[in-house]
Amino acid sequence: MLPPLVQLTVNGRPLAVAAPADATLLNLLRDTLALTGTKRACDRGECGACTVLRDGRPIYACLTLAHACTGHEIRSIESLGSADAPHALQSAFAAEDAAQCGFCTPGQLMAAAALLATNPDPSEDEVIAAMSGNLCRCGTYPKIVRAVRRAAATLRHADPAGPERAHG
Amino acid sequence: MAERTGESPKRRFVSTTVEVEGRTEERVVEVPAFEPTPWDRDAKLTHVGARAPRVDALLKSTGRPGYTTDLQRARLAHVAFVRAPVARGRLTQIDWADVRAHPDVLDVLLHADVPARTRLFSPDITYVGQPLAAVCASTREAAERAVRAVGLRIDPLPHAVTVEAALHAEAVRPGLTNNLMQGAPRVRARGDVDRGLAEAAVTVTREVRTPCVLHSALEPHAAVAEWEGERLTVWESTQGIYRVRDNLAKALGIPLTDVRVICEAMGGGFGAKNYAGAHTYAAALFARRLGRPVSCVIDRGGEQVDTGNRPSSWQRITLGATRDGRLTAIVLDATVPLGIGGWEGGPGEIFHELYACPNVRTHETFAFVNTAAMAAFRAPGHAEGAVGLEIAMNALAKALGMDPLLLRERNIATHDQKKDRPYTGNRLAECYREGARRIGWASREQQRAQAQRATPHRRRGFGVAAQVWSTGGGPPSYATVRLNTDGSADVLTGSQDLGTGTRTILAQVAAEALGHALARVRAVIGDTASGPYAGNSWGSMTVASLAPAVRMAAEDARRALLEAAAGLLAVTPDALETRDGRVCVRDTDRSMTFGEVTAKLGNVMIQGHGSRGPNPKDVGIVTTGAQFAEVDVDIETGVVKVLRVVAVHDAGRIVNPTLAESQLEGGILQGLGFALFEERRLDARLGLPLNVGLHDYKIPTIADLPRIDGHFLDGADPQANHVGARGIAEPAIIPTAPAIAGAVADALGVEVNELPLTPWRVLAALSS
Repeated sequence: MLPPLVQLTVNGRPLAVAAPADATLLNLLRDTLALTGTKRACDRGECGACTVLRDGRPIYACLTLAHACTGHEIRSIESLGSADAPHALQSAFAAEDAAQCGFCTPGQLMAAAALLATNPDPSEDEVIAAMSGNLCRCGTYPKIVRAVRRAAATLRHADPAGPERAHG
Repeated sequence: MAERTGESPKRRFVSTTVEVEGRTEERVVEVPAFEPTPWDRDAKLTHVGARAPRVDALLKSTGRPGYTTDLQRARLAHVAFVRAPVARGRLTQIDWADVRAHPDVLDVLLHADVPARTRLFSPDITYVGQPLAAVCASTREAAERAVRAVGLRIDPLPHAVTVEAALHAEAVRPGLTNNLMQGAPRVRARGDVDRGLAEAAVTVTREVRTPCVLHSALEPHAAVAEWEGERLTVWESTQGIYRVRDNLAKALGIPLTDVRVICEAMGGGFGAKNYAGAHTYAAALFARRLGRPVSCVIDRGGEQVDTGNRPSSWQRITLGATRDGRLTAIVLDATVPLGIGGWEGGPGEIFHELYACPNVRTHETFAFVNTAAMAAFRAPGHAEGAVGLEIAMNALAKALGMDPLLLRERNIATHDQKKDRPYTGNRLAECYREGARRIGWASREQQRAQAQRATPHRRRGFGVAAQVWSTGGGPPSYATVRLNTDGSADVLTGSQDLGTGTRTILAQVAAEALGHALARVRAVIGDTASGPYAGNSWGSMTVASLAPAVRMAAEDARRALLEAAAGLLAVTPDALETRDGRVCVRDTDRSMTFGEVTAKLGNVMIQGHGSRGPNPKDVGIVTTGAQFAEVDVDIETGVVKVLRVVAVHDAGRIVNPTLAESQLEGGILQGLGFALFEERRLDARLGLPLNVGLHDYKIPTIADLPRIDGHFLDGADPQANHVGARGIAEPAIIPTAPAIAGAVADALGVEVNELPLTPWRVLAALSS
């Protein structure tokens, strides 16, 4: 018997993907769709490296069943921007040196994108509260705080219809 | 036979000493064909010393820089390990019947199936988490399910997980006659500590405990292996591609030329990823048996249990000093449970180095116990030893009625006391002064009074601690720099970038030496097939070892470029200089771009060879520094909040201040975790690790972030090597935890001498 289909939107593309009942959203993104920008670091909801957006809200893909995403819109790091056309957050992370090994970075960026979509001018404390579910072992936290606020300022001063708007 | 005439020929191979992770090694090295003139502190440099952005920063922000765990291959199969559930015993039977029959399961490996040199899957169980067998399946989940379905029959044996138990127990693993490393404690001494203590006006003794802590890199240990005929390619998340290649060839009994190891990007190592491991061998063996690519990624539980740790320590420290605070004796008695394997990266070393004292004696007992083996973890030994030494220094300051900073300033080690030789430089006194200025050390009583008026249930405290670490690096390290026909340049070397920024720094050094634009230079690293030998990225050695080789290779290439350009510009090479990617005729406006020169040459290749020369003789090369911490302690809950850490270090020339500050912040945050949160807990009766995830094992989160003010003294160390740089990654972690412990004791008025400084320990200290 074929596994049942998950019907969802990933990075703007409507998809119907076969997934076993116990598959996680992380399995679906990485193993089925080969979207490996979303990282598997703990696979047990402890580190935030697999953070993606479901309908704009940050979730841990490793703790989310794929079938719980039917009818929902998922955005992963691949939708944020590219090295050639980076999102303001990606540019700010690069400018502030907010990635050392870079393994937690996609999850950090998605958590930050969710924050800026609802709070265009977060204080340091608000950044820290929003990002405290994303671990980094290299010690980039000081630079993450600076990078998120830098990106927020860039986005506030950019044309609101421009390409570097936060995902809502 | 040719007769010797005149001067003796220059010897090509000589021996030199290199310090790695606190151990001194004697090595044979090749003397480079030429040594560039050292860049002294007044050298006018464009790219070296600049805040160049990390070259792969944007790539990392897309999530696709090329981690081993993300590698996609057609028909990739996946491995999971069967691990021992008990601390000691003998595996007598594995029940595989249900597992092997499952259609997703492709193969299994047992002790009898693997080469002896891999030392895999011994039926002699010696710690919880030891791999006993491996399953390979078509998906990761199928492999994990299969492992859970395996039945094990084990005859349990008594185990020992503490030093005390190990000293009285039978051998904890086969092959040992007793459980002491080297069969005896390690005792090292200079002078006469009994006389030193007799001369002391004041003595203090403290007992200090530091916890076993886990590296907890976010990318787990991982390997992907693929065979083409006799040739093996392995992608590995590693700190040493050449060492993994060597380990694999030896273990599998195949020629080195048949093994290629690649590490394009890796998600953190911190000392735990220096060798091939069970995951590497299992991936390679399954891939050969199955004729398809195989991935072995350690799961988080395995990562936290069985990929290395900083072992715990017990330390009893006695210090003696004159009335004016000059140390007369330093005595350490320490025990360290290494786990089932390891080496003596103990707390004792720093007691011989950090402070000037004629009489020092350290007695360290390293015991093998039935827990997973230790591994180097960022400044192994020094990070633990600094906690004991600095807590005792604070106690001594209190006994003397002296400012703890002043006591430290009185006892700066001006030379390398272990080997009785000078240092190339030690500006620790300046580090203390600059750090004290930045934290406001002199006004700390006013700062404390002001803070405590505002929040009466909190206590404010300040602490200081210092650091020394050998950071000279050394040979061998090699690099090739080649100019492409369009004038762009490649730096080829067999190093790897752990996230420290090696790629960026090597490009900066090459651009500087070539006189090129930084954007036109790329470091091609992380592949044994393309880069000549470079050592492991460990021991804070990479820049001091490799940057001189890269500089020499670039200067060698530049010489060839100038000779080629000289003909084209109808001048002699010494009339030429290079600037920003152009070859210019001095004192004229005539010039050619590198690309115009190389285009004329067609495929005639301009390439330079560089190697790292021997270290200078009879001199010690260290990075020193001081850190200051400001903490707030809630005396109702016992919670410690670190408000500020000021760090000032002297590391010679800083090639990239932004990347160097990132290293400092990383070391400080790991040191903060060591001070406040991190501890691998064992069930004392079963030897079972209890907190094997990132939830129960607590590393710092962004909410624990203090204000960090990291600073490097401006300067260069041209005596150490011709780039003038020393190492920084490990020095960053050493003083953090002792500075925080000092600040907490200062806040409370009582000491808490067991890390981590958890709320319950703080409350217990307050109520005692």
